[in-house]
Amino acid sequence: MSLNEQISSMNMDEILEMCIDQEQQAIDLYCLARDQAKDESSRQKFQELVDMETEHKVALRKFEIEKYLELPPADLKVTDYLLEPTLQENMTIQEIVILAAKREGKTARMYQDLADHFSADKKLNTFFQMMADEELRHKHDLETEYEKEFLQEG
Amino acid sequence: MKREKPQSFNSVPIKERLTIPRQDMPEQDALLRSTNFLEVNLGFTPEQAVIEAQRCIECASPTCMDGCPVNIKIPDFIQLICKEDFVGAAEKIKEDNSLPAICGRVCPQETQCEQVCVVGKRFEPVAIGRLERFVADYAMEHGSDTTPVFQKPEPSGQKVAIVGSGPAGLAVASDLIKEGHEVTVFEALHEFGGVLVYGIPEFRLPKAILREEVANLETKGVKFIKNFIVGRTMTIQELMNDEGYDAVFLGLGAGLPRFMNIPGENLNGVYSANEFLTRSNLMRGYEFPEWDTPLYRAKHAIIVGGGNTAMDAVRTAKRLGADEASIVYRRSEEEMPARNEEIHHAKEEGVKFMNLVNPIEFIGDEQGSVVAAKCLRMELGEPDDSGRRRPIPMEGSEFVMDVDMVVIAVGNGSNPLISQTTPEIETNKWGNIVADDDGRTSMEGVFAGGDIVSGGATVILAMGAGRKSAAAISEYLKAKVGSVV
Repeated sequence: MSLNEQISSMNMDEILEMCIDQEQQAIDLYCLARDQAKDESSRQKFQELVDMETEHKVALRKFEIEKYLELPPADLKVTDYLLEPTLQENMTIQEIVILAAKREGKTARMYQDLADHFSADKKLNTFFQMMADEELRHKHDLETEYEKEFLQEG
Repeated sequence: MKREKPQSFNSVPIKERLTIPRQDMPEQDALLRSTNFLEVNLGFTPEQAVIEAQRCIECASPTCMDGCPVNIKIPDFIQLICKEDFVGAAEKIKEDNSLPAICGRVCPQETQCEQVCVVGKRFEPVAIGRLERFVADYAMEHGSDTTPVFQKPEPSGQKVAIVGSGPAGLAVASDLIKEGHEVTVFEALHEFGGVLVYGIPEFRLPKAILREEVANLETKGVKFIKNFIVGRTMTIQELMNDEGYDAVFLGLGAGLPRFMNIPGENLNGVYSANEFLTRSNLMRGYEFPEWDTPLYRAKHAIIVGGGNTAMDAVRTAKRLGADEASIVYRRSEEEMPARNEEIHHAKEEGVKFMNLVNPIEFIGDEQGSVVAAKCLRMELGEPDDSGRRRPIPMEGSEFVMDVDMVVIAVGNGSNPLISQTTPEIETNKWGNIVADDDGRTSMEGVFAGGDIVSGGATVILAMGAGRKSAAAISEYLKAKVGSVV
């Protein structure tokens, strides 16, 4: 079933619950990775990701995004063509960033679909559009970091 | 503090100096050199060196020294060249840089000393790098009679272990041996020099030069131990607690190859630049079958990246007999981090440049060998943090080309061995060792510098970091003696 079909059969509480569940899955994933990571640097990176996703969850619960008003930056697509790493112990920091950027991209698409679905409802459309923008912003930040650290072109 | 101007030995009137053209470096014919591993640049003749030195206008406030990460006394050594005291000029450089023959070859002078040369504001800058190389080579060849004999200092009774024999480690060894410390360099590989030996090809930096620099340090008393992996053969704690080293310097470099994480990178025929260059340079693959390291002769080799490592790899592939060797780079030539000289030499040697292209998949045959690369065309967007325009994939621009060898040269990371075996040493989230400006790490008595701290950078920056650490180690050892007394 496509997302659009799913949404059609859901009420708003259920939609928000689905989104919160998506964010929670990401939090669980990054917490697991943080606790499994053997080096401090990877633990730090995962904690940053946990904090980001927790913020999203809070925004969904309040159904308001006060601070996310900036326009989203361009999608760099740096990680779009890369293999999606499997979450496992001893992931490299490079794999972690790829995994995180890909997840942010997928979640952004989910929110974009929701925004499009509610195009007639200004409040809902704006809310989901802002969430999509926020996810894209995170993807952009992660991909910028990826380019800087892993594509030095030496 | 204002520097005293060196005595002038330049007989050419100032106005005439600006009419002297920058001297061209003699080099091997492009067609010939693309089939051999002999050095490309042949070096100035003494006559050329003097003419080039006479182009220096002896500025009242020279800026060239500020452009050098180790502040070589450039105006001073240039005047000594004008005087034709070439060995003296080399000695003047060695006051600040213990490896001038190497730096004269591999430093990016065009973005350092020569970039800020006052002559360069209106004309071509004085060829400082070529002059440095000339006097260093001259001194190696002729200097044994005139070079001052190294006076061994009083032994301090203190021992320093240097981990890694790359540029940072050699700079530390050079400075600390002069202080009377017992200095031992531990190298994981079977030859000394770190990236200088495994990373830079013979045609850009002949290994004989490196061996001579190492031999010079040995003569001065530095002990070199190879095939010794600190973190495996012995830990840092064991070196300090069991072997009695008072201080340790970590100059491990950034030797961990990075891949792109695209499908097909594990196919046969896909190498990291590290592996490819190590096979050729360190393991002498280019001298197969005299040496036992085979290297594939490609029909079409592509090298992914636009830095000096990519240029070294593509030129190596060409010399190994590739019918076609191409650079595949996701930005345009303007954004390439490689030195202009290396790009120019590569083009002369017949290397093809496929710019604004990025591979997204390598395709293999039934035997698991790479046979093709699927690529995307890119366009340039807004500048990124590095100031270069950012490449953006063009949707629907995929194309496939036949390739039978791929070398990934997109950068290197830090080796995690030390951080795994020495948790006391703080590392950042990228795995680089955290050190202050003088190289002090979070573990007492342990210092670090070069690429392991900064990430991949230049030889001279690593040497500069090494020299700062050497001064800090010296200070630390003095304080240690004081605290015991």
